[in-house]
Amino acid sequence: MRKTYTYDKSREAFARAMKVIPSGIYGHLGPAEGCYTPVEAFPFYSSKAQGTYVWDLDGNRFIDYMCAYGPNVLGYNDPDVDAAAAEQRALGDCTTLPSTKMVEFAELLVDTVASADWAFFAKNGNDVTTLAVMTARAYTHRKKIVFFKGYYHGVSPWTQKIDYAGVIEEDVMHNIYVPWNDLDTLRKVFKENEGQIAAVISQPYMHGNFMDNVMPAPGFWQEVRKMCTENGTVLVVDDVRAGFRLDIAGSDHYFGFEADLICFCKALANGYNVSALCGKEFLKNTVSGMSYTGSYWLSAVPFAAGIACINKMKRLDMPRTLIEKGEKLKSGLIAAAEQSGFDLRVTGAPSLFYLRIADDPTLMLHQEWIAECVKRGVFFTNHHNHFINAALTDADIAETVDIAEEAFAVVKKRH
Amino acid sequence: MTDAKTLAYINLHAILGSIPYLCEIDERAKELIKNEKVSLGFRVKGGPSGALCFANGKAWFAAECDSCNIILPFASPEKFNGMIDGTVTPIPSKGFLKLGFLLKKFMPLTDILSSYLRADEKALEDPVFFEKSTLLMFHLIANAIAQIGNVDKVGQASASYIVDGVIKLAIGDEHKLFIEAKDHTLRVLPDATEKFSSFMRFEDIKLARDLFDGRVNAVAAVGEGKVRIGGMISQVDNVNRILDRVALYLA
Repeated sequence: MRKTYTYDKSREAFARAMKVIPSGIYGHLGPAEGCYTPVEAFPFYSSKAQGTYVWDLDGNRFIDYMCAYGPNVLGYNDPDVDAAAAEQRALGDCTTLPSTKMVEFAELLVDTVASADWAFFAKNGNDVTTLAVMTARAYTHRKKIVFFKGYYHGVSPWTQKIDYAGVIEEDVMHNIYVPWNDLDTLRKVFKENEGQIAAVISQPYMHGNFMDNVMPAPGFWQEVRKMCTENGTVLVVDDVRAGFRLDIAGSDHYFGFEADLICFCKALANGYNVSALCGKEFLKNTVSGMSYTGSYWLSAVPFAAGIACINKMKRLDMPRTLIEKGEKLKSGLIAAAEQSGFDLRVTGAPSLFYLRIADDPTLMLHQEWIAECVKRGVFFTNHHNHFINAALTDADIAETVDIAEEAFAVVKKRH
Repeated sequence: MTDAKTLAYINLHAILGSIPYLCEIDERAKELIKNEKVSLGFRVKGGPSGALCFANGKAWFAAECDSCNIILPFASPEKFNGMIDGTVTPIPSKGFLKLGFLLKKFMPLTDILSSYLRADEKALEDPVFFEKSTLLMFHLIANAIAQIGNVDKVGQASASYIVDGVIKLAIGDEHKLFIEAKDHTLRVLPDATEKFSSFMRFEDIKLARDLFDGRVNAVAAVGEGKVRIGGMISQVDNVNRILDRVALYLA
């Protein structure tokens, strides 16, 4: 039986944070939004990271399956990406005139992403999903946007819901919500809102929280594409989360259709802060005329990192590699669960797997198991999909399965 | 951002709906109702209806008011809300002979209720009063959550994301209330149950008070372990969003 971790230093730091930072750690890395249940099982702060590991302030090492919620795709501190970034940093980063690294990066994306004729760079996923929606509205002169229920497209008011703090009815009054995989409802929505829908925005498959992830039904995307084309509606794929973990050419390519606009962030530069909106030629003029920028959006270091990251992902055939690693982990975890008589569901793409113990609909059993894994050095989270990175080895997978097995046994004994 | 109809539902089911609990915890309230056998109905056109019933030294809330001894009709939610504010004097449509109950029992009961719900700082220094006041608020807020989730436009949006099940709200290990969600309609269960699908537990009565008064945020308190959440957390998340609107209505 492994010794379980304690987090005294994390707690001390959190107590300091609570005095000067709203909620201590806000957003998805915070204990509330991160669903740290029970909170005592989780570390709050890291001291360092390398490859597939992260160490907390108390010196505990974790095999990290959240990968900073996606950006860590090659492994933390990847030498090739870091070298490219360092080289560019020595030349200049945030400067009055942009570097031609920006042009190189855009050329690389246009060469790599199947549906891309151009690229526009920003910092976060939210920046480019917002630009995508603005572009669709500017191009079509329409107001309404169709979302699929269970979506996540960022944190700007238009992406949130009417009941979220700080969001007003007018922010979301043109949003239309359709169940995932429900073509009949989508068809009805198009009919009822003829000539009014600017865009359909969606992740490539449903990777919502608190629910098993759901792939598109056969023919779903092709039909959505057809409806958008027939109705003059812009089809936006939010590939911020899944991008480059399914298909280096974009997740629309993986599912056999072409988006009009596609949003990338997370895996784009292995942790360097850059996001990209790629699009079709017919939308380039529209974007050219838009007022949309930010202080650091044209910084050169993340572009250099992104170039190195994409080139390395191509060399390593990254999506296939990550999917294979994910498959290995998936079968190991399911077998570990079965040993203790648990029904572990692993859904979504193996490179972005989502976990749920199906024996208990309240998810409390699942939360207990996740907590026992975390306390033993496997950083899973309760109700969000996980991420595989290239630095994860077979030995790491074996260690993960061992820990998962022990955690299942502990939970079984308790019940 | 609020509407009169939702406020009327809150006023009836949460504010006046707290009177039965008040009669359990306050000796003056117990004394007032001990020999009463009367039912007082509220019928609001375009709004809620229900009744406060008193018998055998106990009080309870009933959904129907047709057979009440006294019925107070209101032409609109605004008029009913006016009665709660003290700006509208109700005239019974039934039960003129029971007007004494309204004046000598019901009004004093609402005065006692107000003393707890709008307690001054000095009164709250008494730990017994503090606890009673906070527990009354707890009951009121749980019922207000249900009403807002069912009637208020934004609250309905939150409720639409709540999957079926029971959400347990607790202060420490002693005080528990249960909100049932069924087909996105919410109600506070009359009795405790061990079959809940999610929970939100406030560490103690002091923290609960701070949360109710808006001095502490539940999200921030989760990290400190002062608020514990678990189970189907999406239920708790959406209940918490409705909770944010309670303050808006009760301000």
